[in-house]
Amino acid sequence: MRTSKRSAALLAGAALAAVLLAGCSTTSSGAAGDPVDGGTITLAIDQDPGSQLDIHVTAADISALVLRNVFDSLVVQDSDGTIKPWLATKWEISDDGTEYTFTLRDGVTFHDGTKFDAAAVKANFDHVASPDTKSQYAAALLGGDAYKGTEVIDDHTVKVTLNRPFAPFLQGLSTTYLGFYSPKVLEQSADKLVAGGKGITVGTGPYVFEKYVDGQEIDLKKNPDYDWAPDNATHKGAARPDELRFTILPDNAVRAGVVGSGDADIAGNVSPTDVSTLKGDPDIQLNATEAPGLPWSIFLNHSHGVLADKNVRLAFQRGIDIDSAVKAVYDGQYDRAWSVLGPTTPNAYDASLEGTWKYDPALANKLLDEAGWTQRDSEGYRIKDGQRLSAKWLTTSAPREDRKSLADAFQADLKKIGFELIPNPEDSGAYIADLMGGSYDIIDWSFIRPEGDILRLHLYSKFAPIQNASYVNDPQVDEWVTTAAASTDADERKELYAKVQKWAIDDAAIVPVYVPKYITASSTSIGGLRYDINGWPLLYDAWTAKG
Amino acid sequence: MVWGAATLSFLVLHLVPGDPVDIMLGVQSTATEATKDRMHHELGLDRPLILQYLDYLGRVVRLDFGTSYRLQRPVVDVIGSQLMPTLQLAGLAILIAVLIAVIIAVLSRGPLARSIASLLELITISSPTFWTGLLLLSIFSFQLHWFPVAGGRGFGALVLPAVTLALPVAGILSQVLRHDLEVVGEQPFVDSARARGLGHFQLLTRHSLRHASLPVVTLTAYVVGNLLGGAVIVEQLFGRAGLGRVTLEAISNRDLPVVMALVIFAAVIFVVINLVVDALTPLLDPRMRSRA
Repeated sequence: MRTSKRSAALLAGAALAAVLLAGCSTTSSGAAGDPVDGGTITLAIDQDPGSQLDIHVTAADISALVLRNVFDSLVVQDSDGTIKPWLATKWEISDDGTEYTFTLRDGVTFHDGTKFDAAAVKANFDHVASPDTKSQYAAALLGGDAYKGTEVIDDHTVKVTLNRPFAPFLQGLSTTYLGFYSPKVLEQSADKLVAGGKGITVGTGPYVFEKYVDGQEIDLKKNPDYDWAPDNATHKGAARPDELRFTILPDNAVRAGVVGSGDADIAGNVSPTDVSTLKGDPDIQLNATEAPGLPWSIFLNHSHGVLADKNVRLAFQRGIDIDSAVKAVYDGQYDRAWSVLGPTTPNAYDASLEGTWKYDPALANKLLDEAGWTQRDSEGYRIKDGQRLSAKWLTTSAPREDRKSLADAFQADLKKIGFELIPNPEDSGAYIADLMGGSYDIIDWSFIRPEGDILRLHLYSKFAPIQNASYVNDPQVDEWVTTAAASTDADERKELYAKVQKWAIDDAAIVPVYVPKYITASSTSIGGLRYDINGWPLLYDAWTAKG
Repeated sequence: MVWGAATLSFLVLHLVPGDPVDIMLGVQSTATEATKDRMHHELGLDRPLILQYLDYLGRVVRLDFGTSYRLQRPVVDVIGSQLMPTLQLAGLAILIAVLIAVIIAVLSRGPLARSIASLLELITISSPTFWTGLLLLSIFSFQLHWFPVAGGRGFGALVLPAVTLALPVAGILSQVLRHDLEVVGEQPFVDSARARGLGHFQLLTRHSLRHASLPVVTLTAYVVGNLLGGAVIVEQLFGRAGLGRVTLEAISNRDLPVVMALVIFAAVIFVVINLVVDALTPLLDPRMRSRA
């Protein structure tokens, strides 16, 4: 197997080189010396992309992360949020923001030899927008009902027309979800895309889809003809390793151990509680990137129950000690959130909210008194008109990232101000049913996307309960989020998003709790590893010193 | 029995809350209502329940299990491709379990050895599979580097998962076997065999073990159930392909065609195993052979 004595010796050698080089290295990775061709990079991932292999259908993060290596996009979003050329060398946007004309790169071919041209772009966008595709995410990134159509101008020029301006359009285009299938596949095997496989999951990317073993691994092989790297890549031409292997290891403790044991070169989505152990290992390098988009947040349902009263929502917001809980549960690795956007969301985050709504049980008590919850029952909970101040928190039966511990901490905090919090864990079926029915008081999730438009998903009145799980229904907010989505003026958008973020805190519509980080552990034998704006490892430039 | 299992699973899956389409989409999707209606229609979920049931029974009779909602592949394919890894895992686990059980049972003579044995049994039975697996992983993979952690590549990768799965079963088997050996040891035929000058080892292999293994054989159905349940956790932990993971995913995603096929498959397995056990018993126990 891979952990032979020889490779262990090589690993030790690489580690030594890493220590020597560490002083002069400025990048987070790149300790593995000069780029090396060949070998296999093994990456341990936390989720199974198995049933989610159609990029045009799925909404799963893991599919985007893995299949980024197989599919290219028209543009690339750099880690600072700027949009740069990729398969499109340049583009023009009409003054009214409804027409995007892309000039396509020459000489790009799919893995099956088909030429990538304007017709291929049209075939793909038509496929995404078609109701037959039943897209769960890509269609919305393409603009949803704002998408009108794609027109082939000539072989290398393609024009996308929108019904109305849609500012997040280019960012959407940069994602894996709007990558390009070979038109041949779309024609012949459209019904097999979800299951995927060799000869079906066919793109233009630096790696070719070789094999998927259910629940176990995905193998990709180098595309030797690749010569159309994104603008922000550090090298050009084909990828360096011969093979990429993704092994599916859902257990956190196992993923934390595999890099040290040599079973994997890189471990994705490492748990924050494993960071302090891994830090002690000189052969392991760590990268942690704050997720852009909606932090892990608590949605307070406006539509019924005690939380329909703004004072009660505010009391909830100020009556939970977020700082202490986040610090304790995540071992100081995650920062608490101050806004409904993460700080790394490009051109949208409002930093002025930081420190403005600290834990304040006295204020929370006062707010509840004002709301008329003045009596207490025998257990110390507040009552009004014979009813207890109580809210049910709907969760899945096995919440990720130790969120149960956070909920427990908040439950204890709220008890101190006479507010009863009842956890309501359900299996996935009942959870979704209750969510759709809107019968919950409280629900939670996070949503990673480097785009302020995430606020529209979560606060626009027409999107309740998914993803507007708070049932926010405010004409002013609706106007802000829809104007921002249609505006092509970056400053105007930022201003509008600042207003929305302030409103969300003032109203206690959504209580943001912590900003998740995507933590990656990699062996020092891996060089050239880069990370995208989500913190997901980008493997195109990477190499393995094990050769 | 197979029909009963099929019907019961159909009923249960339709009675518990949760719409398969909503579950498939999850909270991250931005699918429109029209898309959802279309998915319902294509999966036949918009038809009356009784029609869905009759249609389902009709297909089961023809051995057509349909297409997985989630994976969009024929169910027969899904299960077929995952059968071998699980059989390998379960097969090796049974072998290890029986081996451990026999060794413990045979070695535990005398009160001290017996209490050690029963302590070991208690630990293996009561430790959660998950915990046992993690412990084995951290010792033999992370520290000693003897076995690889992940995947189904080669025999080496099969050892730790199989041992994890085998330990609780070994504990139970050993308990039963030990108890039976003690009972057998008090039987008159043992005295007579000893009187004929048979040594301990010969006595054990020719008579006692054979005698004591009877109740163990009837435990097989229980053991198989235990293995299937444990496989869910073991496959998840060690990143292996297999039916356990398929079962877990299918149930939590309300992938009805896959769940039904798995239930029927399990029912058939149990029927077959019981038949085999019934056939084996007379071989082990001459008293059960018919006089015809």
